[in-house]
Amino acid sequence: MTRFGYTLAILASTVLASACTDDVPTENTPPPGSTSGGTDTTFDHDNDQISPWDLLDRLTKEGPPRYTSHVHSCAKVRYRTLGNVLTDVGMNVANTTALSAGDLYRNGFNALGGANYANRIRENIMITTSGASREFDIFAAGADEVINAFANGTVTRCPGATLFDASNTCRPDGITCLLGVPATTQHLEFCNLTVSSASTVTVGKRLAVAAMLAAAYTCE
Amino acid sequence: MGSGSGSGSGSGSGDEWDQLLGQRVLDYNAALKTAALRLTGKLPTMAEINSIATAPDDASKKAAYETLIQQYMSSPEYAKQMFYFWRDTFKMGETAMLDTAPAFAARLAVNNGSYMDMFTAGADNCPTFTEADGTFASAECTNNGPKAGVLTNPGVMAQYFGNLAFRRARWVQEVFVCTKFPAEVSTAPTDVGGAAPYTGVWPFNSIASPTNGNGRINFQDTSAVICANCHSTLNHLTPLFAYYDMNGVYQTNIAVPTPLDGAPLAKMSDYLPSGETTAWRLNVPAADLPALGQAIAADPAVAECGVARMWNWALGKTDIVDTLQEVPPETIAAQVDAFKASGFKLKDMIYAVYTSDDFVKF
Repeated sequence: MTRFGYTLAILASTVLASACTDDVPTENTPPPGSTSGGTDTTFDHDNDQISPWDLLDRLTKEGPPRYTSHVHSCAKVRYRTLGNVLTDVGMNVANTTALSAGDLYRNGFNALGGANYANRIRENIMITTSGASREFDIFAAGADEVINAFANGTVTRCPGATLFDASNTCRPDGITCLLGVPATTQHLEFCNLTVSSASTVTVGKRLAVAAMLAAAYTCE
Repeated sequence: MGSGSGSGSGSGSGDEWDQLLGQRVLDYNAALKTAALRLTGKLPTMAEINSIATAPDDASKKAAYETLIQQYMSSPEYAKQMFYFWRDTFKMGETAMLDTAPAFAARLAVNNGSYMDMFTAGADNCPTFTEADGTFASAECTNNGPKAGVLTNPGVMAQYFGNLAFRRARWVQEVFVCTKFPAEVSTAPTDVGGAAPYTGVWPFNSIASPTNGNGRINFQDTSAVICANCHSTLNHLTPLFAYYDMNGVYQTNIAVPTPLDGAPLAKMSDYLPSGETTAWRLNVPAADLPALGQAIAADPAVAECGVARMWNWALGKTDIVDTLQEVPPETIAAQVDAFKASGFKLKDMIYAVYTSDDFVKF
């Protein structure tokens, strides 16, 4: 049995053992198998364990480690990295205007899963609902900044790239710069459809940029 | 740097998971974006994207990709990223003292030092890191006592101060072996009168209790769980870390409290009965922290854990311990073998991970 299997068996047996009893806890007592101390010992331990049900659910959805260990997962963009990404696509993270992209970013450290080293907590690896929501808020708030930066040629990592041409058609070089990977036909179709379907072209451009950023940077 | 090596895609006949692995295709541009964000914290430039996108074939794309990875890993941004990586891995930082251990580890990753220096380095163990330009400055730790890489780091000792110093031992186990306690599990459990058998490899009487060496804490308790399953290893290891006080300063006497009434300081007899000595594992004695560092460096599980941590970081996995995100040994066998053969060169290992078949396939 692998270490993984051994641990899973221990976790499962612990829960199953408690699940099979008729006794319904009437007090706030630790579950069987825990290492929380009593009043005579008070040798409390950290009993935080991975829920075997969560683990089984993950294995069912994602597959066994011999598969998942070979493929990429969807880690969130780290807080600092997100700041760099916003800058790299033309947003001003130092902007102090209320509800601007910069304001939402700088005040979103906790929502975006930043570290709390004083309490021995690392930065979140996976994105949370609050993190994804805050990210999209930032992208939506900063879409106009991105559009203007490309139009003004201030996105220095992509000299000459433009997001939209004179007829408001999405351009592959700009989309490539925005996404960090070469734009595909599907990217351009999505972009053009979003622009053309919106109430106005301005709104459509804003939506297209925000949606593409959200799709590209939910995962690192 | 050595070239990246494949790690077995699992292609060909097999079950559905093997077939899914076999369906992946090379995508060096997608790999570049991920690598750029992780290794530099920035997006690739248009020129970098195009250097791969316009390459005529996979061999050319691979060459362009590997060149860019080398450039990324030579940049100041890489140093910053490694510094942040180790802050998160060590779960500490953002003060001058607490940043010295992450800086020490990050410097190994930048200078292609031996990963095992993490446990054995006898000098220059408290460097500083300047985030503005991604540079390191040498410095000695000033917390007195022996020197053994991050094992004697004042920030580590302060951050993980606690009763009987068990938190420090747990940190070493989880960060560098990638498993929680129990660290040693016998294949032949023994009945010690509890509801469950004792599964440790040490003799049950090798740890202290009120009736075994006059310890004040009953580590041989079997009334709820078998404490000795974890504490047989813990009690032989932890006393080595018990001489550091809450500020991480080494003292000549044990300087950590017990959870007993009045929080008296721990004694050696609380951990071990007379005649027992400190150790990393059964039959791997360690009289002091430098000896412990040598023992840890010689443990094959430590090298494998180091690769697994980098692998999980590169592929965007959650923490290998906190979420049991296991990396099967066969997945990283090529990288582990190369790591050992190189003398545990950390930068080379990271490069091998970021240029592995699995990293560039989607």
